[in-house]
Amino acid sequence: MAPFDLVHPRSTDEALAELRTASPEGVAVLAGGTDLLLDIDRARIAPRRVVSLRYLPWKFLEWSGDSLTIGSTLPLRALEVEPRIRQRIPGLWEAVRAVGSVALRHRATLGGNLVRSAPTSDLSPILLALDAEVEVVGPHGSRWTPVDAFLSDSRRPRLAFGELVRAVRIPEARPSAYHWQRVRPVNDISQVGVAVARSPSEGYYRIAVGDVLPRPVRILPAEEALRSRPPTDDEVRSAAELAGKLSPFATDRRGTEEYRRHIVAVLARRALLAIRTAAPRGPAP
Amino acid sequence: MTTAPSFTVNATSVDLSPIPESERLLDTLRWRLGLKGTKEGCRTGNCGACTVLVDRASVLSCLTLAHEVAGSEVTTIEGLAAEDVGARIMQSFADEGASQCGYCTPGFVMALASLLHERGAAGDLAGFEEDLQGNLCRCTGYVSIRRAAQRAREAVR
Ligand SMILES: Cc1cc2nc3c(=O)[nH]c(=O)nc-3n(C[C@H](O)[C@H](O)[C@H](O)COP(=O)(O)OP(=O)(O)OC[C@H]3O[C@@H](n4cnc5c(N)ncnc54)[C@H](O)[C@@H]3O)c2cc1C
Ligand code: FES
Ligand code: FES
Repeated sequence: MAPFDLVHPRSTDEALAELRTASPEGVAVLAGGTDLLLDIDRARIAPRRVVSLRYLPWKFLEWSGDSLTIGSTLPLRALEVEPRIRQRIPGLWEAVRAVGSVALRHRATLGGNLVRSAPTSDLSPILLALDAEVEVVGPHGSRWTPVDAFLSDSRRPRLAFGELVRAVRIPEARPSAYHWQRVRPVNDISQVGVAVARSPSEGYYRIAVGDVLPRPVRILPAEEALRSRPPTDDEVRSAAELAGKLSPFATDRRGTEEYRRHIVAVLARRALLAIRTAAPRGPAP
Repeated sequence: MTTAPSFTVNATSVDLSPIPESERLLDTLRWRLGLKGTKEGCRTGNCGACTVLVDRASVLSCLTLAHEVAGSEVTTIEGLAAEDVGARIMQSFADEGASQCGYCTPGFVMALASLLHERGAAGDLAGFEEDLQGNLCRCTGYVSIRRAAQRAREAVR
């Protein structure tokens, strides 16, 4: 493994300044390191300087009424052990639990997962279903972007060199679910992942599917099939079938396209039934 | 660059000469500090054999830089025996015959210690067993390990 220098900026400005003085190939950003260190080990990248986000004040979790803002460098495990997340945004809790092992989640972060933008991410689908937004900070200040726009079609997020992700906001706690299928339950890449959520204020549904190429997507015709409030059994069945039919699946060594279409329809139906009548749970904090 | 990180291992502050800033905690523990109880299985985060505690929470030392734990307390299997929780877990493993070749055992013990530190015996059993799935064992078939985990959990209740 190629050696590198490790630097520890103490503030956002210091971190951005570190990036400004470097060239894109020469520098990398480190959060939990669970993706980055493997990339370096496998010589996919060879940065000479690694900028650690460890001391930035971004490990926070902030409720404001029904909306939740999650600091990008907060370890995933912190989301899992916060009871209000399990109660009020159960799909997020299920998706976080789907990422690797407990020891991995003690270090892995939401920001790292989003910036890595793996088509197989277990977190992107639920963030899409929750209409989450990403806060990007850079030399020109801060901007908020919907996750849907942040994930691009090129397997790289819409993040310019020199920019960092500071936080992710979930505008509204929603009854939600994330169901996945893999060969081994832990430390295996999902063959499919389905996230669903229902807006308690507006009543509409979101259905997002992961492990599709080139990136997780919402399946709008499936969402539109859920017309009644609450949707009928027939509507749920046709929405689930549409999710199976319309997901941009491909065949790879983890599963065939046909298998994935079948499984996604099954999982989407279960997930929708799980949230169809669920009341938004838990008192407002 | 090489610099000397400062952290404690098993309640003693380590006195290291400068080491590369790209060094994994796993290598520092095994090769510089001689703490060979922490095992290297896959080096890719998949097996759990390298699990240690950093500030009482389990982490994979193969995916953690030594310099990233500066200022923290690291506990390895060698230090855990001195703690009540550690002693109970190890006794449970012995009582249940939950160790065969033993290569996975330190990782399991550390993972279990982290869970018991975090929430004692609370939480549902299914979640508890799920939380140990990041550790692989190629010998026991897991039945005796599950029993040992359950026994340790009852012992700290
Ligand atoms: C054994 C194993 C199992 C895994 N299982 C799963 C799984 O089941 N599901 C799943 O979705 N993922 C899985 N992963 C992938 C990985 O753990 C996650 O993607 C993790 O959330 C990445 O977070 P991190 O903090 O470790 O990122 P890092 O490795 O620190 O960073 C990842 C990338 O993002 C950049 N980056 C990090 N933070 C920021 C920021 N704030 N701003 C700008 N750039 C940033 C880094 O430069 C790097 O390019 C697994 C990984 C391993 C090793
Ligand atoms: S050696 Fe670290 S998880 Fe296998
Ligand atoms: S006892 Fe041999 S790997 Fe578990």
